[in-house]
Amino acid sequence: MTEKKGREVSESCVDSLLTEMVSTYCNRFYANKPELAARRIEAIGYQVGHQLSERYTMERPRFNDHLEAIKFICKDFWSELFKKQIDNLKTNHRGTFVLQDNRFRWLSRISIDPSLENGDSQDPSAMAESKAAQATSMHLYFPCGIIRGALSNLGIPCAVSADISNLPACSFVVRIKA
Amino acid sequence: MQFFGGSEISPSPPAPTVSGNNAHMVYVFNRNGVCLLYREWNRPLHTLNAQQDHKLIAERGNLGVPQLPGQGCSFHSFRTNTYKLSFMETPSGIKIILVTHPRTGDLRDSLKYIYNLYVDYVMKNPLYRPGSPIRSDLFITTLDQYVRSIA
Repeated sequence: MTEKKGREVSESCVDSLLTEMVSTYCNRFYANKPELAARRIEAIGYQVGHQLSERYTMERPRFNDHLEAIKFICKDFWSELFKKQIDNLKTNHRGTFVLQDNRFRWLSRISIDPSLENGDSQDPSAMAESKAAQATSMHLYFPCGIIRGALSNLGIPCAVSADISNLPACSFVVRIKA
Repeated sequence: MQFFGGSEISPSPPAPTVSGNNAHMVYVFNRNGVCLLYREWNRPLHTLNAQQDHKLIAERGNLGVPQLPGQGCSFHSFRTNTYKLSFMETPSGIKIILVTHPRTGDLRDSLKYIYNLYVDYVMKNPLYRPGSPIRSDLFITTLDQYVRSIA
């Protein structure tokens, strides 16, 4: 029986570290190249997911099929990472799964500034919304990478994207490569 | 690596001391005297414009500034016929001022809870620039709800 209470990390530390990572990649390393920044952040998530899935499947038998592996991600894996499970799982039975978290922890503190600092009066709300939406979506590449890395390590190559049309709920769309 | 943390907001909100529509306004200032937030729920008189108002309140807040490190801030509230002003300053220079009905009880715990809301929804918001006015919907909504529940 493993001792769970060992060395632990403060949640505020992890939250701040992730915020700074996204900010550094977006504003310093790849300023004005959001696609590159997104790819790098997702790659970091991939490594993390790979390692975490190794650790969290240590004492389990092999998964029988894709659905079992996805259910593991939704329940045990998500609980280890975010102390809650995925709230809703949908599938089209053809290799696409939608994992919905109604209150995604890493987005729970993000709040969009409704007013606009500077910009033309033509369509201020749309511009402000898209800038904020882009900044918010940058924070989702890391968890997408984590899911992709975890599933890859379980032998399931896939592509993962996120959908934030309904904050603070967040959906992760997993498309398994045939 | 295990992710570890406490509940969402701690400490839990203090029990309400009085009921009714007691809270009038709240101000949040930072170390440089910039007014980060001003919320108003029930203000009977408007005699000063916004800038004069903020300057007056900021100077009043300076009454409690400690002269030497180690000296605590001894001023936390005063009361007049028409209102009670409660004040809290943190080591990081954030001043929170709450103006309420004169018969309101001790609001020190409420001020601490508001500071916790500030830390959680403003400081930890990746989209917030420190020193700029607070426009976070989440913070303002939660603050409104909380103040209405205590007063």
